[in-house]
Amino acid sequence: MTFEQRLAAIHAGLAASPFDCLIALHDGGHFIEKPDPVMVLTGFKALGPVIALLDRSGAVSLVVTPSWDAERASEICPNVAIIGADDVIAGLEKAIGASRAAVGVAGLSALPYGIARRFVDLVPQAQAADSIIFAPARRKTEAELAHAREATRIAELGYKHLLDVAHPGMSEDELAAELRWHSKSLGAEDNFVLLCAGPHNKAVAPSNGRRMQGGDTIVCEITPSYKGQLAQICRTIVLGDASALLRRKYDLVVSSMQAGFAAAKPGAKMGDICRAINTVLEAEGYAEFCYPPHIRRRGHGLGFGSIEPGDVALDNDIVLEPDMLFMIHPNQYLPETGYLLCGEPAVLTPQGAQALTRQQATLAEIAL
Amino acid sequence: MQTMHPTLLIGPGDWDARQIPRSEYDERLAALWRDHESAGGAIVYGDSRDHAALFYLTHFTPKLEGAIALIPRRGEAQMLIGGGPNMLPAARPLTFISALAPLRDAAKTAADWARDLNGETSLVLLGGNAMPNRLRRALDLALGAGARIEGGDTALRARMRRKSPREMQILRASCATLDAAVAALRDAARSNKSITDCILAAEHAALERDAQDVRSLFSLDGGRTLRPFDVPIAARIDPLQAYVAVRHGGYWAEAFVRIAAQHDELQAKAGSVVRAIAAEAKPGTSAQRLREIIEEGRGGLRVHQLADRTCGSSIGLSLDEALLLTADDVALEQGETYSLRAGFIDAAGAGAIASAMVHVTGNDPQLLWPTNEIT
Repeated sequence: MTFEQRLAAIHAGLAASPFDCLIALHDGGHFIEKPDPVMVLTGFKALGPVIALLDRSGAVSLVVTPSWDAERASEICPNVAIIGADDVIAGLEKAIGASRAAVGVAGLSALPYGIARRFVDLVPQAQAADSIIFAPARRKTEAELAHAREATRIAELGYKHLLDVAHPGMSEDELAAELRWHSKSLGAEDNFVLLCAGPHNKAVAPSNGRRMQGGDTIVCEITPSYKGQLAQICRTIVLGDASALLRRKYDLVVSSMQAGFAAAKPGAKMGDICRAINTVLEAEGYAEFCYPPHIRRRGHGLGFGSIEPGDVALDNDIVLEPDMLFMIHPNQYLPETGYLLCGEPAVLTPQGAQALTRQQATLAEIAL
Repeated sequence: MQTMHPTLLIGPGDWDARQIPRSEYDERLAALWRDHESAGGAIVYGDSRDHAALFYLTHFTPKLEGAIALIPRRGEAQMLIGGGPNMLPAARPLTFISALAPLRDAAKTAADWARDLNGETSLVLLGGNAMPNRLRRALDLALGAGARIEGGDTALRARMRRKSPREMQILRASCATLDAAVAALRDAARSNKSITDCILAAEHAALERDAQDVRSLFSLDGGRTLRPFDVPIAARIDPLQAYVAVRHGGYWAEAFVRIAAQHDELQAKAGSVVRAIAAEAKPGTSAQRLREIIEEGRGGLRVHQLADRTCGSSIGLSLDEALLLTADDVALEQGETYSLRAGFIDAAGAGAIASAMVHVTGNDPQLLWPTNEIT
C-alpha cells in the first residue's frame, strides 16, 4: 500500500460517511501511545498544534503552528494547502470560514483541553470519526515499513552500543541519554529509550539518577523513530555474570515470544498472540503473573502516525492482515528473577509474522 | 520557542534538596494560598510537554505519562503518576512528595480527595488546559457542577517569572551548559563538519554536562528558516544559523547562534541590536520600547519571521514561558529572566538571529547568556 492508496481509502471512507469533511487534530506532543491522525493524512510531524482537513473533493489542507514552520510543511506535503498560524484554532477558523458543514473529527479526546474546548466552540457539530482515518492505517504503507526496518537497524546498533558503554557507576539517566544521542547519530530523529536497572526489577520504568551496580539487570526498550516511524527492541542485560536460574527463566520468556510469533498469522486475532504467550508461561506456573499489575499487554502497535492494530492483549479482536506492524514482547515479571524484557518488531506477511530484527533477543552479559 | 517534542523525557530529574530545599517549595505553596485565599486545595496537572507549574510546586518532571498533584492547604500532598503501581518506585526520586499512587481513575480520585477537604470547597486548578480532553471532562464531571474552581495559572505564572536566588544559581548553571554546547557547535562548524555532526556535537557537549534535555533547530537556507533534526544531512553550511536549548536542573536556557567563517555583516547587525535591547532590559521597560530599538536598528533589513511578532519571552521553567513579549503594554519586572532575540533578513534572502538571556534587576540588567560578549 502506498501513502496515496491509503489516502484514497480514507477519502472513500469519508465519501461513504455522512460527513462533508474530516478534521484531524494533534497537539504536537508526540508520544509512543498517542496516535497522530494528522501524520496519517499528511505525513507531517509537527512542532506545535496542527490540524489537517480532508474534504469530499479529496483536497487536504494543513494548519501548521508555529507559522514559521509552514515552509517545512510545504516541502514535506507538496500536494497539501498549507496555512501557517500562531494559533491553531484561529488558523482553522480561517480555513473553514463560516462553514457549518457536517464534520467528522479525529484526535479530539487526546487533545489538550484548552485547544479541544475552543475547537468544540468553533465546530460544535463535529462528531467523532477516528475510525475513518485509523482503520485504513492498520496496515502500514511501503514507506512506513521501510522506515520501520531502518529504525530497527538503528535499534540493534543502539543495543550494541549499550553493551559497549554500560558499566557500574553509570546512572540510568546517563545511559538512556547516551543511547538516544547515539541513535540520532545513526539517523533516528527520536528514540523512546525506556530503561532501568536493579537487582530485581518490578517493571521497566523511565530512567532516573540511580547508579548501576555490578549484578544489576538492565531492562530496556530501545525505540528509535526514523522519518516518523517507530520500531522497538526489548532487551535484558546483566552487569556481570548471569545465574543459571536467570538464563533458564529468560529462555522461558523467549520461548513464549516464539509462541506469540507462531500464533501471529493472517486471519488470527491480536488477542490470539497474547493467549499463545500466556499459555507457555501459565504451563510453567506463572498464571498469576500474566495479568495486571504484572503485565497489561504483550505488545503494541507502532506509531507515530497510527498505532493500530493496537495492543497484543486478550481483549483485542482485531483480525491480523498482511503489512500490519506491531511489537511482540512478552516482557514478563517472574518472582525468581524480576522483570525480563524480550521483544521484537514484527510485520505480518501472508505466511505469518516476520521479525524485523537481524538478531533476536538473548540474555546478554557485560563482563566486569 | 517551539521545538520537536521528544516522545520520552530522558535525563537527570531527581530532586536534590541541596539545589532547591523543601522550605522553598513551602514558600511557593504559601504564596499560592495567598493568591487564592478561599481555596482548600490545588489540583495540579502536568505532562511531558507542559509541566512548568507541576515542576515548580513539586519538582516532579513527568517523563513518560501525565501526573496530577493533589495539594491540600493543610496536610500532606499526594501525587498521581501515569502508569501502573510498578512504575511508582522509579518516580519516587523525582519529587519530595512521598504519597504516590497510579493515575488511573484520576478524576474520581481527585474528586473524592476534594470532597474530603473539610468543607473548604474552593479549589485551585493548575494546568487544567493542558489536561487531555477526556481527562478534563471526566474531572469536571466527577467534581460536579457545584464545585468552586479557581483557575490559578495566570497568578502562578507571574510568580514563576520572578526567580529566587536558588533558581538563578541553577539558571546560571544552565547557561554554562548552553555555553559548552554552543562552543562545541562553533568548533564543529569551524572544523568543516557536516551540519548533522555540528548539531550532534552541541547536543553531546550538553549531555556530558548532565543536561536534563537538549533541543536544536538549524537552517539549511542561510538562516531564513529553521527546522528540527530529521535524517542526517551531510552538507556543510556556512554561515550556520542554529538554535540550541538546554535544560539543566529543571531550568531552560536557549540561544540563537550564527557561525560564519568570514566576517558576517548580517550577524553583526543582529548581535548589535540584541546588545541594545539587552541593555534596556530594566524594570518597566515595555515590549513596545524593545521593538522600537529593533526598528531603529534594522536599517533597510526585514525583520526575521522568528523575531517578528515577539522579541523574546520569559524563560526558565519552560521554553515558551509566558510572558511573550508581544503586546505593547507588556513590561519587564524586577527579578524576571528573559530570552531576547533580534533577527533580520537581507535583500538576498539570508537571515540571521541573535539572542541573549538577561536577568532584570533593580540596577543594570545581568547578562546570563552569552556568558561573555554578545556576537
